[in-house]
Amino acid sequence: MKKLARHKYLLISCLSIVLILLTWYLCVDILNMVSGSAFPKLTKTISTFIKKFTTAAPDGATLTVHFFNSIKVALWGYVMGVIVGVPLGILMAWFRKFDMFARPLFDLIRPIPGIAWIPLFILMFGIGVLPKALVIFLGVLIPSTVNAYTGIKQTSDVHLWVGDVFGASNAQKLFKIAIPTATPMIFTGLRVAMGSAWSALVAAELLASSSGLGYLIQIGRSISRSDLVLVGMICIGVTGALLDELLHLVEIRVAKGMNAK
Amino acid sequence: MQMEQRKKIEPVIQCDNLCKTFRTPGGDQEVIRNISLDVQENEFVVLFGPGQCGKTTFLNMIAGLEKSTAGTVTVSRKCVTEPGPQRGVVFQSVALFPWLTTMGNVEYGLKMAGVKKEERQKRAQKYIDLVGLQGFENTFPVELSGGMKQRVGIARAYCIEPEVMLLDEPFGALDAQTRYLMQEELERIWQTAKRTVVFVTNNIEEALYLADRIIVLSPCPCSIVKEFEIDLPRPRNYTSQEFLHLRKEIDATINSST
Amino acid sequence: MKKKKTPEVWICGIVSVFAFLLLWQIGCSVSELGKMIPGPITVTGAVLKSMVSRSIGGHTLWIHIGYSLLRVLTGYILGSALGVVVGLAMGWNRVVEAFITPIFRLIRPIPPIAWIPISILWFGLGFQAKVFLIVLASFCNVTLNAWAGAKSVDPQLIGAAKMLGASKSQIFFTIVMPASVPQIFAGLQVAMSSSWTTVLAAEMVRSTEGLGWMIVTGQTNLDMTQILVGIVAIGVVGFILVAVMRRMEDILCRWNKGKR
Repeated sequence: MKKLARHKYLLISCLSIVLILLTWYLCVDILNMVSGSAFPKLTKTISTFIKKFTTAAPDGATLTVHFFNSIKVALWGYVMGVIVGVPLGILMAWFRKFDMFARPLFDLIRPIPGIAWIPLFILMFGIGVLPKALVIFLGVLIPSTVNAYTGIKQTSDVHLWVGDVFGASNAQKLFKIAIPTATPMIFTGLRVAMGSAWSALVAAELLASSSGLGYLIQIGRSISRSDLVLVGMICIGVTGALLDELLHLVEIRVAKGMNAK
Repeated sequence: MQMEQRKKIEPVIQCDNLCKTFRTPGGDQEVIRNISLDVQENEFVVLFGPGQCGKTTFLNMIAGLEKSTAGTVTVSRKCVTEPGPQRGVVFQSVALFPWLTTMGNVEYGLKMAGVKKEERQKRAQKYIDLVGLQGFENTFPVELSGGMKQRVGIARAYCIEPEVMLLDEPFGALDAQTRYLMQEELERIWQTAKRTVVFVTNNIEEALYLADRIIVLSPCPCSIVKEFEIDLPRPRNYTSQEFLHLRKEIDATINSST
Repeated sequence: MKKKKTPEVWICGIVSVFAFLLLWQIGCSVSELGKMIPGPITVTGAVLKSMVSRSIGGHTLWIHIGYSLLRVLTGYILGSALGVVVGLAMGWNRVVEAFITPIFRLIRPIPPIAWIPISILWFGLGFQAKVFLIVLASFCNVTLNAWAGAKSVDPQLIGAAKMLGASKSQIFFTIVMPASVPQIFAGLQVAMSSSWTTVLAAEMVRSTEGLGWMIVTGQTNLDMTQILVGIVAIGVVGFILVAVMRRMEDILCRWNKGKR
């Protein structure tokens, strides 16, 4: 009985997907209700997607090249942001003196979205990899610092007292008690940061770039090739989802048993 | 004599051969085996058993919160299939609505029944006064102490004027002092507004202090070991000879059953 | 975690911010940096000037802020309202959940910014395209949280409501909805920052006014001061938006304060 119910809901889910594709096919492909420049035909989108793996026209690179260009920049900025952000958050939470001086400065840049820095960095560093990586760096820095900070602050006093009782040094307390406590929180930050890195990258590529998935959809728009735009969007979505899933897998392995939930 | 009494008044709660088995991935677990129990009108029955023995499950089945695997529960001749205002429940975890004030919680049942605002606030106020929470009508549950929360829980269940009250270890989470106080309070409330009560506890003193009849339950699967009629005069004294004597007797019953 | 701020903390904060500004000013006046970016005094002057005179694209700073706010709030309110309705419906009804989940799974991983080109193809360059993007940005976050909130209602509360005689629809309106409010607010917070980011991106790609437009024209005109004025305004407005949301949450979720 219960098994049947579960199949029923799975069936509804499949039905919903089929229904969307069918509506798309019917309205655009068969009835031509909207113009091809606004919404592409289903069949054309699929064929563009397949062709884009081998042909470089009209935007100068194949899908794989765009993909790797985007990933490269995103990872650069992401890794830099995490390497700086997580220790910064930990230091701010652990050392009160440091916190008192660093927090106000951090709070100053915190409400500014990463993408607002794009024009500034472009003027300062041109339109290469560096300004984009810097924008992503800032977008990543904020969530990773905030989460590491709150994570460390969540360490319960009792656990620290246990450390005191057994004669742990300050460093031991930080590495053996506070950081393990904060690990699940830090991972949440890393996942949020991945989302914002990916989104900042797309913005940077929309504005100033000569390759990458964001560039692809921007070119698609300017020549009114909605099929190209859609293919690019799907790639962006799928990649974002995969990156998140990847981090989730790492989180499960590393933070095993640390998550109270 | 007991037989005559039962003939005169039909029992309010009738449980007939109740069974409950939980299906878990690790196999079926039998929790309750063949419990039959009748409760008379205005009788205070205490279900007494060790922790995790399934007494809460038993109470939940009377409340309609859980379905029995076999057997039936009838309350006032109506078969119980789902929870409803006929049976007021006081939960162990209180389960107050945290976004409602004391007044909001107590009048909730009346509001759902469509009683007009003035009328329902008047009736709710009566029960808030009864449980001694005057002055806390506009307080949210987070701001109340454990004992006060449980008073709100009791007032809330009382306010829908149910035919029976079901209390599931309501004082389990309280400290010893508050617990004694709440036991005395509950007795006073029950004496002022008589109801048929089924009360679950794992505390033998609490059982003896409150009960007209104690049903001693065995550990998993739960079944009735023995019943004790308690006819000590109320309010009872925790240290009187008779009280301690009965306590020893019940202790002996439990020890021999496990 | 929220301890009262001691005067010591205030002093340290002021000292460190002041030191930063001083370093910036000195760096600009003595080194090569001065050629690239204006110092804090210049920027402060420009901010004050743009508040009263129509120095940026024929508008005062307030008009640009107004444009951005109008876009963001219209889209945010629409998207959040829609998100609450859809999310609660998904949490309450399993058929709705099964039907919408796959669609949601498809849309959610695409950052709202990636919708900018297609929104221009669909709605042109005007107000509608931007509102559409903000609706998307707020909708996904709010739906996700409302859905999770409605799913995680304590079953005992539902049992208690049934016991007190509530019908199915009464349980939805009096239990499920209020119980999800804290979760929904968490979603509204995230949605607010995401909407603010999105509107800036949309204005940067295609617009004729607004804060995003302001910084991007600053870039094309090589006007570093205008960019910095824009960034300051973006930071301040973003901060105020989030603070307002937090205040609203404090008021509406007074009953929940012990748990956070």
